[in-house]
Amino acid sequence: MVLNAYDASAVEEALVLRDQFGGHINLLLVGPQSAAETIRKALAMGADSATHLVYEASSDLDSGAISEILAAELSGAEYDVVLCGKQAQDTDAGLTGGMLAERLGLPYTTNAVGLEIDGGQIVVTRQGDSGRETILLPTPCLVTCSNDMNDPRIPSLKGIMASKKKPISSRPVESAPDNATTMVGFVEPPQRPAVTMIDGTDEAEAVERLVRELKNTSKVLQ
Amino acid sequence: MSSILVYLSTSDDKIRRSSLEVLSRCREIADRDGADVAVVLASGSASGLVGEAASYGADRVYAVVNPEFDGHLNAPLAALLSQIVSVESPRLVAMAGTEGAKDVVGSLSVKAGLPVLPDVSSFDVAGNEVVAVRPVMAAKKLARVRSAAPSVIVTVRSGSYAAVAKEGRGERVDYSFDYAESVGTAVLRDVASAKVGAVDLSEASVVVSAGRGVKDADGKALLEKLASTLGAAIGATRAVVENGLYPATAQIGQTGKVVSPELYIAVGISGAIQHVAGMANSRVIVAINKDEDAPIFQYATYGIVGDLYRILPALTEAIEQS
Repeated sequence: MVLNAYDASAVEEALVLRDQFGGHINLLLVGPQSAAETIRKALAMGADSATHLVYEASSDLDSGAISEILAAELSGAEYDVVLCGKQAQDTDAGLTGGMLAERLGLPYTTNAVGLEIDGGQIVVTRQGDSGRETILLPTPCLVTCSNDMNDPRIPSLKGIMASKKKPISSRPVESAPDNATTMVGFVEPPQRPAVTMIDGTDEAEAVERLVRELKNTSKVLQ
Repeated sequence: MSSILVYLSTSDDKIRRSSLEVLSRCREIADRDGADVAVVLASGSASGLVGEAASYGADRVYAVVNPEFDGHLNAPLAALLSQIVSVESPRLVAMAGTEGAKDVVGSLSVKAGLPVLPDVSSFDVAGNEVVAVRPVMAAKKLARVRSAAPSVIVTVRSGSYAAVAKEGRGERVDYSFDYAESVGTAVLRDVASAKVGAVDLSEASVVVSAGRGVKDADGKALLEKLASTLGAAIGATRAVVENGLYPATAQIGQTGKVVSPELYIAVGISGAIQHVAGMANSRVIVAINKDEDAPIFQYATYGIVGDLYRILPALTEAIEQS
């Protein structure tokens, strides 16, 4: 099992914050027994401890159900910041963070590319539609992290050895909430027509042919 | 079916084209099923946009005139949409999948108790279900998804539908909303606008996009000359953004913007799947790359193997002359 790239950025950001300001990083994961390997990887990066909520069919759960399990775990817990990856790199849904924040009643922001602490407030830079937005959040809050935020460290040998001694609290999810959405199956994306290759050795000839094709065949140029 | 609710996102006092695309699709479903289309406009310029919303099919326009909405914070928009959902009880809540919308739907979903089918490329109401198709695994596959909930939110990829003018009734509903009450504890300090070129990327019908092969200011100038000749928007791969040649607002791909213009010209782009995920639905793709084995050629309609520093000026000139 691989650590989701966006989650790796969230772990990295947590490490940077802890090393600067102190504190404790607990990892929280809902997933099958085999995901313990993923937890070890993030512990080897430098996180302090982990909670593994074991649910074998976790990939069948939708974001609403996952966020409900996470919210039940975190309600009553003490923390300053919850960091999540902005989306899963397979489903790209990007919903769990916002849902979790709302369930916990936390202010939040998504798609963070930068994070600082200024006078007890979290200063998040997020990539918005037309530029970078700087948003101040009080603690506790939740932030979802982009892979453009940092380059997650590769665990060192020392980190890997140390991770084996770090505590993982593991317990089953007794009953998962019902899904409100269902993935029915896959369809193949429509095939694109075969490419027409043009030799560019003589650039004048090549672009002349291209422009002709774009006008007459594809009709995208006037 | 009672109504379909569409949130219309605005930019520079205009309704985004991607929002009009979603509105057009909803008008089509509503006409078939005998439903109304209600829309939400929340912006300083909302009053001036009611007519345009009506001309793309809105029957009711909730106009919330407040410039605070132009700077993006998620809490007030989620609160507003949640309130209007409870007024309208819509069968479907649809919005363009902008970064602004993605920032809001998680909270809106929980507040209003509606499930979300996110980032879909097509959607419909079929019997007691909302059904949709969404690209997954960096758009290598399309997943069919559905929900049988009585009301469902969809966010829609730009370019999934055409924006087609069709008159709706256009009744304005002046909705009073207490922004200060709903803003919560987050504060927007600054928006550093980073516009690239004269044409907005997600609205453009032609995009010229830079990859790692565009190495320097000279390459950039050649690319921008071509873009301005074509009236095209400028895009970039993640590598080029990381090198600092273009800001992140130009980034196209799995973690950037998704575009599907009529013509996409990929300049010096190798075609990593993370990039392709953001542009594979373009109608015509031209790839210019010196490596004939570059994966981008598998997606291209036309491929030129050659040196972009020689091809670009020749292409600009050929287009100027034609």
